[in-house]
Amino acid sequence: MTTVRLFAELKLRLLAGNLRGDLERKLGFVFTLVVAVLAAGAGFFLMGLIRLAPPDVAADLVIVLFTLFLLAWTTLPLMAFGLDDTLDPARLALFPLPTSRLAVGMFTASATGVWPAASLIVTVGALVALASGIGGFLIGTLAVLLQFALCLVASRLVTTSLSGALRSRRGRDVLAVAAIGAVLLFQLPNLLLNRDMGDPVALLHGAAQVLRWTPSGLAAHAIADGGWAGLAELAAVALVVVAAAWLWIKSLNRALVTTDASNPAASVRRDSGLVDRLLPDGPLAAVVTKELKYMRREPRYRVVWFSAVVLTAVLAISFGGDGPSGPAVPIALTAFGGLLVTMQLCNAFGIDGRSLWMNAVAIGSERGLSVDLAGRHLAGAIVGIPILVAVAVVTGVLTGGAGGIVWAVLTGLGVLGIGLGVGAVTSVVIPYTVPERLNAFTGAAPGQGGQAFASSMGAMAGVVLLSLPLLVPMLFGLLWVCALAPFYGLAAEVLGRRLAARIGFARMPEILAAVSKPV
Amino acid sequence: MKDAVRTTGLFKRYGAQVAVAGVDLVVPAGSFAGLVGPNGAGKTTTLSMITGLLRPDGGHAEIDGFHVWRDPVEVKARIGVLPEGLRLFERLSGRELLLYNGRLRGIPKAEAERRAADLLQVMDLADAADKLVVDYSTGMRKKIGLAAALLHNPSVLFLDEPFEGVDPVSANTLTEVLRGFTASGSTVIFSSHVMDLVERLCDWVSVMDRGHIVAQGPLERVRAGRSLNEAFLELVGGTRTGESQLSWLGRRDEP
Repeated sequence: MTTVRLFAELKLRLLAGNLRGDLERKLGFVFTLVVAVLAAGAGFFLMGLIRLAPPDVAADLVIVLFTLFLLAWTTLPLMAFGLDDTLDPARLALFPLPTSRLAVGMFTASATGVWPAASLIVTVGALVALASGIGGFLIGTLAVLLQFALCLVASRLVTTSLSGALRSRRGRDVLAVAAIGAVLLFQLPNLLLNRDMGDPVALLHGAAQVLRWTPSGLAAHAIADGGWAGLAELAAVALVVVAAAWLWIKSLNRALVTTDASNPAASVRRDSGLVDRLLPDGPLAAVVTKELKYMRREPRYRVVWFSAVVLTAVLAISFGGDGPSGPAVPIALTAFGGLLVTMQLCNAFGIDGRSLWMNAVAIGSERGLSVDLAGRHLAGAIVGIPILVAVAVVTGVLTGGAGGIVWAVLTGLGVLGIGLGVGAVTSVVIPYTVPERLNAFTGAAPGQGGQAFASSMGAMAGVVLLSLPLLVPMLFGLLWVCALAPFYGLAAEVLGRRLAARIGFARMPEILAAVSKPV
Repeated sequence: MKDAVRTTGLFKRYGAQVAVAGVDLVVPAGSFAGLVGPNGAGKTTTLSMITGLLRPDGGHAEIDGFHVWRDPVEVKARIGVLPEGLRLFERLSGRELLLYNGRLRGIPKAEAERRAADLLQVMDLADAADKLVVDYSTGMRKKIGLAAALLHNPSVLFLDEPFEGVDPVSANTLTEVLRGFTASGSTVIFSSHVMDLVERLCDWVSVMDRGHIVAQGPLERVRAGRSLNEAFLELVGGTRTGESQLSWLGRRDEP
């Protein structure tokens, strides 16, 4: 019991310690809290609404949802590993704790927090959805607790058994890129829904038939059953929980005595690249070359760029098939692609993070900062423009509006320029730290979620607002304004960059502090 | 002699806590200066403010007579910095890191390449030149950081804990390079906990404690016949721990 209290306190102290002395962090935490409470409330309410469905459909729905929860619990903390000190067994390896106490403690630590609480509340919603009669509620309560325990233990089991790999640089790189898998996974239902998959109820029923025999499915079914069969199912779930816990303790034992595997360093090629040879020698070429290298080598860049491409492709495919024909679709999608590409640069200094001081001690004037931003924009454009052209061509061909391809490319270039200009300003006004390891919940350091949100929302609003002079005439059929788009975009980029350099140079120390938050 | 660094009333607070409480740091040009003090004395904060990486809440700093916050172009061309921690562009190779640094400061590519090759050779990093910095060891990172700070031939070099976590061989390389650098008339200012090292290398010492400079001047004057360690402990009051405390430590009760 003391272990439980100790670790719960430790976790709460860590949460509180993250907030100390920084108003922005406090606001960010309040924001997270509000979102979590809303999510818990809405989740609970929606779960409760399931009761209104026919009983068999309701049971199927809860079975699928419980399985999804379990899946989320096992995969998402993997993405967040390293953000929470209480979850890494190596941090506690030197304390003389018997493994069983350590297990209890880490179990407590992972159950303590805003999101676990929210998730428990949503799970309790299943009681409202399915349970009937006193027996049903009793069994249901037990089932909900078991499901929650199962989620916790399964997530601990996965992170602990992979903790060795997660601590090595290469393992983390691989996992960061694996985050793309999560992005794809979330896009999959969209794709399926867009393609006609037949009767959704039959689909649900089919899925539930299979998932019903997974541990979480058994727990869900037990609530609906509420009788002796339900109790037997819960016994089975309890066995699974105990088995998973046993496996977890075993792997915990091993993780505590196994040292990190070191990985041999690989060499990189020494050539300077085509772009560097084409650009005139100077700071601009240096920044472009460095940024292009970073896009290739830095897993966080790979993730954001790849997800931008995937998202655009998904949209292109889902609209391309059966949307309206004509130039509207390629133009709209290419413009949207431009927006997505520039979103990567609305916190331009974030990925430099703690190494930004190298630029800060070298850049002595507004002009220097402007050149730095120009280099980043040029690198972004070198990668982004081919993507936009590809989007325009593919959607143009798919919708039969091949005539719209040129207009689409021109519009895309315009939006790209606007986005770069706006992104330069948000980069210096609302900079935030991008964690070493991206996780599925947020792209910012603990407590900076609010800034990340404000930054991307601000950038998006800015781009949309500045695009209106282009978009409104187009809506009235005046396609020739597309021809002006690239020039308009270029002007926006130059003005945005100048403005950003002016604001940014004056507050360089503040930017440096904002992107160097410990994560 | 002209002062390489002069600060007046440099002040910084974080919330209620005053980190640097009016520091008047003076370092004559051409000296090999040590900034010593216990943990939390404000050494890193002071160095960050002098190098323009942290905005002071009060006071000002001059480097070679140029105001740090009013003449950033002049100041930044003159200083080389190795900040605390080992924050470098991790996904560049050592050579690429040096090249990037040089070219960002407007050094032509060919010249930057030549200097980078020289520095890699001297720092004994030639074999690791094309490996990513993220895979470097602590000593290698300090050396590549110092190389990056030297590449544009600064006149004043600021190093925050350059020898922390560095093996003796790398430390020796670092001191050789730094000695050569000051011998040519340039200035080095480094912070450290290791008194022996400061005593061996420096000709000028500034002692910081709780946000203040408590002693400053040529090494001989600050230590005044004692060893620097004794002088330091006396200055920062490190002899307070009496024997009455920790009386349980080392005691083993017989069963």
